[in-house]
Amino acid sequence: MTRILRSLRDGIGFDVLLVIIALSYLLVFAGLPLIYNVIISFQTVDVFSLGTLWHPNAGFDNYRAIFDDPLAGRVLWQTIVFTLGSVALQFTFGFALALFFHQNFTGATWIRGLFLAAWVMPGLVVGVLWNWLLSGDFGVINHLLESLGLIEDPVFWRSNVETSLYAVLIANIWYGTPFNMILLAVGLAAIPGDLYEAAELDGANAFQRFWTITLPMMRATIGAVLALGIIFTLQQFDLFAAITQGGPAGSSTVAQYWSWQLSFREFDFGRGAVISVLMIIVVLFVSLIYVRSTKAETQL
Amino acid sequence: MTYQIELDRVEKHYGRFHALKEISLAIPKGQFVALVGPSGCGKSTLLRSIAGLERITSGTLRIAGEPVDDLPPRKRDLAMVFQSYALYPHMSVRDNLTYALRLKGVSRAERARRAEEVAAVIGLETLLDRRPRELSGGQRQRVAMGRAIIRQPRAFLFDEPLSNLDAALRVRMRKEVRALHDRIGATSVYVTHDQIEAMTMADHVVVLQAGRIEQQGTPVALYDRPANRFVAGFIGSPAMNFIPGVIAGDGRAVRLALPGNPMLETTIAGTPGLQVEVGIRPEHMVLGSPDAPDALPLVVNAVETTGAASYLFTEGEPELIVTTEGTATIRAGDTIGVSVDPARVHLFEPETGASLRSASL
Ligand SMILES: Nc1ncnc2c1ncn2[C@@H]1O[C@H](COP(=O)(O)OP(=O)(O)O)[C@@H](O)[C@H]1O
Ligand SMILES: [Mg+2]
Repeated sequence: MTRILRSLRDGIGFDVLLVIIALSYLLVFAGLPLIYNVIISFQTVDVFSLGTLWHPNAGFDNYRAIFDDPLAGRVLWQTIVFTLGSVALQFTFGFALALFFHQNFTGATWIRGLFLAAWVMPGLVVGVLWNWLLSGDFGVINHLLESLGLIEDPVFWRSNVETSLYAVLIANIWYGTPFNMILLAVGLAAIPGDLYEAAELDGANAFQRFWTITLPMMRATIGAVLALGIIFTLQQFDLFAAITQGGPAGSSTVAQYWSWQLSFREFDFGRGAVISVLMIIVVLFVSLIYVRSTKAETQL
Repeated sequence: MTYQIELDRVEKHYGRFHALKEISLAIPKGQFVALVGPSGCGKSTLLRSIAGLERITSGTLRIAGEPVDDLPPRKRDLAMVFQSYALYPHMSVRDNLTYALRLKGVSRAERARRAEEVAAVIGLETLLDRRPRELSGGQRQRVAMGRAIIRQPRAFLFDEPLSNLDAALRVRMRKEVRALHDRIGATSVYVTHDQIEAMTMADHVVVLQAGRIEQQGTPVALYDRPANRFVAGFIGSPAMNFIPGVIAGDGRAVRLALPGNPMLETTIAGTPGLQVEVGIRPEHMVLGSPDAPDALPLVVNAVETTGAASYLFTEGEPELIVTTEGTATIRAGDTIGVSVDPARVHLFEPETGASLRSASL
């Protein structure tokens, strides 16, 4: 006890204390639920056994059930389309905007700030907003497409099995682009301006400067942005809840939404947990790439 | 005669700020020109305007006789060495050196050959595969130089390339840069705020102040015949002493505003009774006996010595500096006698600062 008091007074060992606090927090609020999630993926958990901490062992039954489910293949495919589509287009638009605002014209900072406003909106609000924009009868999107002559009849984005996934995808691209833009803008701002001047004198045109200076100097940032994009997209739930609820007929169901449906609609927590375990594996793999790319950054 | 770089009444405005005023400068092929002046006088702006990194507001700029006002930097065929070196951090030394050649489509074998060749010239043979962050300041500076010379450009532009090095290395690099210039027969424009660097390296020195050329000429001309008080005070170290005075009745001597109002002979004919600023370099004030007939009697207030030379600071206003060789035996409080060769005395118009010598010549 005196040792602890002394450590507080002298500050010796205080660093160790801080690390212990942080680690305990991680263990209690992230580690234990994670482990418990893995455990219940091997157990039979229903409404009746929900109240108890320990449930009957189910072996690999839950995993088998998920893989045999006729919905599994479609959910996997829709998750891939949604994730890659979101990340690729958020990144592309985000990078284009970051480059655009990097020109520093008058008002650039203000408009950039406005973009951030979109990002701080809660997902459910964004979902409601896009419900309205995508609405079949009086939606702005249909009106735009019609006046451009791209479609003749209104598209019922949310209730059509062909388009429901894209309805959420479009909303998510809009929602995630500002985040990509800000991170990439920070990366751009970190490149010293004299490198561009040196390259210009060395004979590089704008395209060559982008290709030989900007892109390689941004490698770590780009890696981080893509990895974070994948992780955030795999966490996206609110937009599905607000726009399509995974429907119609599962046409916009992605893994994270399916997991929620199994657990909280069908009260089959074992199978819901199986999906989260599989997703954790994917996220761990992506995080590994993220960590490696930030390491490359410190080495530069 | 066509000059390698020629500026004709070049002006540069940043919004309402007038950064360059009526700059006219003609640099023949092979010349080493130094742009020197206090910080913020527009040296970098002038250099960057030549490079094309800044657009000039008016006037003309020619490189090898061809007007380049509308050419972007990459088409001007000039190489620049930045104060920050601006090495590409994600490339090896070899790739830094050959970047321009790669853009030009020079073959891989030829690039490798030229990289080796240049590395030998600048003494970096063993470092070709390193990244810039693995090099010392001096080595980075050499890479920056190598990146410029490998291109064989029409001219080299240097923006204070040595200012991030320690004093000893700076003195050595001064000679190396100049030797390199001579060896490859280059044309160089070298920006520095250090007048000693400008005087020791350049064939032609351009003194800038507040965006204007105060004077240009050979180092010796600037030292011996400064056109105005600013140049007189800027060139030379320690700086020239200035003493207010009045031209005496015979027009060949000045009465100094020092205790006792001593007379000082000059070789400049002036209007008797005219108020002037008298300029005398510390190294032209010769120590003698205080009792000699023509000596200025001065009281020493402080003494600084470097071993090779000593600087005597005098009491009263204005404070004067007298340079003597070796270690002085004189102490603070001593009275000294100083005599000055009349041909070494400069006179300046107090209002405009213009030298009276040019008027009398
Ligand atoms: N982009 C700019 N916008 C406005 N003023 C500038 C800009 N660049 C330089 N200046 C001003 O021009 C003057 C000369 O700058 P510079 O050429 O960098 O001086 P130096 O002689 O120290 O190299 C300074 O007063 C500086 O503040
Ligand atoms: Mg400068």
